[in-house]
Order: sequence, then structure tokens, then C-alpha cells
Amino acid sequence: MAMTEDGLSPADFAATAARAIAACAGLTARQQAERLGGDGLLGVTAGEEVGGLDLPAAFAVPVAAASAGLLGFPLLETLLLGRLLQAPLPDVSRAIVSGAACATIAWTNAASAKPEGDRVVLSGCAGRAPCAADVDWLLVRVGDDAAALVPVTASGVTLEPTGLDLAMPEHTVRLDHVSIAERNLLPAGTWPLLQSDALVLRAAAIMGSAEACLAMAQEHASTRRQFGHALAYNQAIRHALARHKLGLESIRHAITRSLFGEASALERNAAFLAAASYGVAISQGALQIHGGMGFTWDVPIHRHLRRILALQAQGDASGLLRALGHRYVAEIEPASEAAA
Amino acid sequence: MTVMEAQQHPDVAAGLLTGEAYRLTVRDWLRNELPASYRSDSAAFSPPTLEQSIAWEAAMHRAGLSGMTWPTSYGGHGRTLREHLIVNQEIGSLAMPDSVNSIGKELAGPIILAIGTEEQKKRFLPAILQMRNIWCQGFSEPEAGSDLAGLRTRAVRHGDIWRINGQKIWTSGAARSQRCLLLARTGPVEDRHRGLALFAVPLDAPGVRVRTIKSIDGKESFCEVFFDEVEVAQSDALGAPDEGWAAAIRVLEIERATNRMYRAWRFQNELRHLISACKTDAVLAGLLADSHYAVRLAETVVDIEVLKAHVETAVDVLVDGGSIGARGSLAKLHWSEAHQRFAILAMELLSKAPLPLAPSVKVALRRFEGIYLASRAETIYAGTTEIQLGIIADRILALSKGK
Repeated sequence: MAMTEDGLSPADFAATAARAIAACAGLTARQQAERLGGDGLLGVTAGEEVGGLDLPAAFAVPVAAASAGLLGFPLLETLLLGRLLQAPLPDVSRAIVSGAACATIAWTNAASAKPEGDRVVLSGCAGRAPCAADVDWLLVRVGDDAAALVPVTASGVTLEPTGLDLAMPEHTVRLDHVSIAERNLLPAGTWPLLQSDALVLRAAAIMGSAEACLAMAQEHASTRRQFGHALAYNQAIRHALARHKLGLESIRHAITRSLFGEASALERNAAFLAAASYGVAISQGALQIHGGMGFTWDVPIHRHLRRILALQAQGDASGLLRALGHRYVAEIEPASEAAA
Repeated sequence: MTVMEAQQHPDVAAGLLTGEAYRLTVRDWLRNELPASYRSDSAAFSPPTLEQSIAWEAAMHRAGLSGMTWPTSYGGHGRTLREHLIVNQEIGSLAMPDSVNSIGKELAGPIILAIGTEEQKKRFLPAILQMRNIWCQGFSEPEAGSDLAGLRTRAVRHGDIWRINGQKIWTSGAARSQRCLLLARTGPVEDRHRGLALFAVPLDAPGVRVRTIKSIDGKESFCEVFFDEVEVAQSDALGAPDEGWAAAIRVLEIERATNRMYRAWRFQNELRHLISACKTDAVLAGLLADSHYAVRLAETVVDIEVLKAHVETAVDVLVDGGSIGARGSLAKLHWSEAHQRFAILAMELLSKAPLPLAPSVKVALRRFEGIYLASRAETIYAGTTEIQLGIIADRILALSKGK
């Protein structure tokens, strides 16, 4: 695991992040940004020139996992944008890292861009932008692999709430001839880079929620009594919880492996896909173990389930899985008939 | 160079290579020395005889590729667990036969290293690595499969001799073994986990009878072993009663996490073989391009990467001086179920091959029929799925069993 020259480890960030996020309860998104920025959590991986800590991605993982505290703030997107924008748009990056400005990303669909003088005009529709109604800036995909940073208040931008996530509502973004400065159009190759960095943070966020769900299920199974026993007395419940523990540890190990120096796209994809698959199973399983209580609004498992489903869709887990299969098959040569 | 003549690479022998250079040397040696007829992904495949397996594994040992982490004074190579992992990754990447002496190398040997006397270490350990002694494991009994605390085979001490009576079952490879790592009871059955003792029983001792059991794959590896007034010298008792078993349990925990460490990489070799064979047939190649199969193959890829992550994490924990405890159950549970899912997928795909079968498909079908049948045992041996779930619930989640 990575460690700084000062002996700081990613684990040190976990407790700090959990405390900072707990302190955000009841604050508006903008107040949360200022508090988290003040705690140095928004620029963990951003460069020092924009006020960040310039630490390896491993240090952002516990921060992303702590967002399982159901923070109503686009923490993953903020972590990613602080770093992404530090070279092309350092002023915006600095504001995001400090918490003075808020930003998010529309994860699905893409807009088209047309040059118009020294401006660029965007049109189209992009989806799944967490907390878009509470931010100043919005990154959208442009074409196949470019991206553009759009002021949310720009003329022609309309937002429509959608999705299941309660604490961090997603929005569909319509762009109707939205004019932006040319420098806000980021070059080809930006989008795949962003998606690649997002995979592990998304896996970490899912892990945080899955861990919270398993802890609630375990607590419930140990304290709720039926037929004269705690629920955990029953083998069916014990085995279900054991399977969820296997899923959780599988996510954790896959994330750790994806952070090794020599880790490739395959390891990052595997971390997210394992998280998406096991995360849904763990949260749905936790709901089931709670019985009728699990279906109530007050028991927060549904909030985590909603968050995990949103993260799964933002990363297009099913599309990624299919693409991984096609790519894997394409890379293998047919068996040599001579060898056969 | 024949397998018998294969010698230890001088640089590996001198411990001069590390990291990637070491990996490449290991890879080259294995690829050059493993006969094509031993590779189950080859048309020339013909399962090696026992004598050929013994010769091949002895050659691997001379080349520095077994007994990796055992001390050199007992015939090992004194290498690190990370190097052991590298060798396993390379072994897994080839469709190589499994060891005929894995019980000796991965169970009896580590237990003897942990609790054996100096005399026992010198007598037993080099013989295991040099393939002069093949071992089997006599733990399960007809009335004590998963529940070893209920076993009934008795060992009664008479001076320097232990007299053993009882029966073992599911003893893989007993018919080809010279020694049995026997778990027996020195007190009454009611003592459960107390009074259990380990012995290194010579299988040619008077009173030992071995009967093979034919398994669903047509093989006769499973055995029943009967012990009728078998006399075992005190010098073949491993550790004191109780003490020996407690130490063995600790070794077993590590072994569950680290034995056949090559599994994830062999699993990958199998997946790649399946795809490469399907690609030689137009119908099967068309199925590979189908999104349904692309998704199922990708799920297998993710399963394999997760398994690698479990194995590599276990190595990291052990290298850092940590304890694996019950966590080996996580990797075992994941691997056994994931491998069964894959074996079903392989059979499903290959069953759609048009006739006459393409040569590569025929080779794959022969291999995967064997893998499919063998995989049905994987959720049973080394602790069934239900036992692993129980261990995770009891010892990792620490769920209360009480009222």
C-alpha cells in the first residue's frame, strides 16, 4: 500500500474522512464543500499548485468509501475534477479543491460541440449528473472522448431530476445551444482518462455503502429475536451473511489490487465490476435480512441500495462487462490446429 | 534434454535472480522442460503415468521449483513466499498435471516443519521433495467427514509403540502412497477435539489395507484405508496428542489460503484455452461474439481477478508477519463456486460445436469434460461450501450461536 515520505498511509485518511463527513450532517451542499475543502479532503489527489495534496489514488479510496455516510455532495466528482482540471483550467480547479466552487459530472450520453468564433456551442442531452442543481460547474462528455466544462447557470442549460439516489439526486442535463469559452472544451482523450480514474473511486464508494449495509444486517440478525432465538441462530441467516462477507472482502481485495503500481485497466475494471455486482447483492441481502423493517423508509438500507444502483449505472456496469468480454475474446488467438 | 535429465538452472540454484528475471527463468524452464504429452491443452496429451509424474516432480524440485520456502537443510530452497507465488503463477499458466504428492508438499510437509522433531524433519522432508515418499491424508472417516471431532480411529500407546485401529475414507491417493498423515484419537470419542494425535503411518505396515473407490470421473484415486492392529513407532508420532493437532490446525489455516496457489492462473489458462479452441470453429466463434456469452465470459474474468486478489492479499498478509486465521475460507469458497460456474459455461459452449468436431475443439472437450466432473468435488473437499460458510459466520463475522 502506498505511503508518503511523512509516513502517512491511506488508512490515516479513513478516520479523518469519516469525521469530516459526519460533521457535514445538516449542512447545504455549498457549506459541505467549504467544510470538506477546509479539511483538505477535496484535493487529495490534485496537484499542490492548485492547493491539493498530490497524493496517489490510494489516498482517495478511503475518502470515497467514507461517502457511504450518505453525504449530499458530489464527492467523487469533486475529487476527480480537482485533478483533471488542474492543468487546463487551474483557477477552476483551485476553487473546486478549496470548496469555494462546486462541480459535478454528467456520466452518461454525450453532447455535440460546434465552434462559433472564439466560443464553442454545445447541444444535446447528458445524464446521471449527481447534485447538478447544487453546483457551479458541470462536466459533460463531448463526442466520443472529449469533454466540456459548462457553467450550470449558462443560458440554454436545463436540469431535470431523475434516478433513485435520495441524498445525491441525479439530473438529466439538456444543453440547448449553450455557448462556452473555447478553453472549457477539453481535448480528445479526456473522457476515457476520467472514466478510468473513476472506476476505482466508484468501487470504493460502493464498498463503503456495502460495508454499512452488512454491518446493519449483522446487528439486526444479532439483536432481533424470533422463535426464542436471535435471527443469527438460524443457519440460513448465518450463511447469507457469510456470503455477503465474502462479497465485501472480494471488493476490498480487488480495489487494493487495482492500486498496485503495475495494475492495468483490467484490474481497475475488475474492481468496479466486482463492487457493482457484490454491492447490489449485499445491500439487497441486508434489506431481506431486515424483513419488513428493511422495506421501511426509516431503516437506511434503501438509501445505500439507491446509492449503489446509481453508482452502478453511472459506471454503466452492464455495458462495461459486455465490452470487457468482447475485448478479452478479441485478444486471444485461435488455437493452432498444428498444436491440436 | 529429457525430464529426467533436467537439471537445476545454475542462477536459480545460486539464488541470484529476483523479481521479473526470476519469473522469466522459471517460465523458460517450465516451457522448455514440460513434455507436450503432459499438457492437457495439447492434442498429444496422454496423462503421465505415476512413474512419469514422480520423475517430472523430482525434476521440478531439482530445478528449484518445489519446496520453495522450506529450509535448505531439509531439501527446500529457502526462498520467499513472494517467489513461491511467482513460481505458482507460472505453473498455473501452463496446462500442467497436478502434483501426485500435494498432500506431502502442502500438508504433511508444513505440519512436520511446524511440529516435527529434528530427526523427523531430516527423515521425511527431503524424501517428500525428492518424490521418494508420496503421502496421503487420513483425516475423514465414514462417521466423521466434515466433523473431524467425531472421528473414531483409535491410537493406544504401549511403551514405544502405538497400536492403531479404525477406518479412513476419501483418502485421495492412498493406493500410490508410502505414508499416511493419520489423525487418530487417543481418548474416548466424547473428548471431541481433545486427545487427537497425528502420525506418519507407513502404508506397508502389517494390518494396513487400502481399497480404491471409483469416483464420478472414472478415476480410482479415492481410497478407504483400514487399520487393524497396526503398530506405529513413537518416532512416527508427530507432536504430542492435543499439542500436535492444535499446531496442525494453525498450519491448515495457512494451507487453505496458500495451497495450490496456482489455481487462479490455471483458471485463467483454462478460460484462454476455451476461447482459443472455440475460435477455430465458425459456429463457436459466432457464439463468442454474442453478447450473452461475452457477459458470461467477462464474469469469469472478474471472478479470476477477484481470486488473484484474494491470493495476493493472503501472501501480503503472511509476508508482513500477519495471521490468515479463518480468511482462507473466503478464497476457497469463492474459487470453488466460481470454477464450477466456469466449468458449466465451458460445457455449454462446447456442446454447441457442430460435427465433425474441429481438432482443437476435440482437445478442449476432452479437457473440459474432465474439469467439469472434477469441479463437482471442489465444493466438497477441503471443507464443503456449507462448512466454509459456517467458518466465516462463526470466526470472521463472530455471529453468536447462542439463544
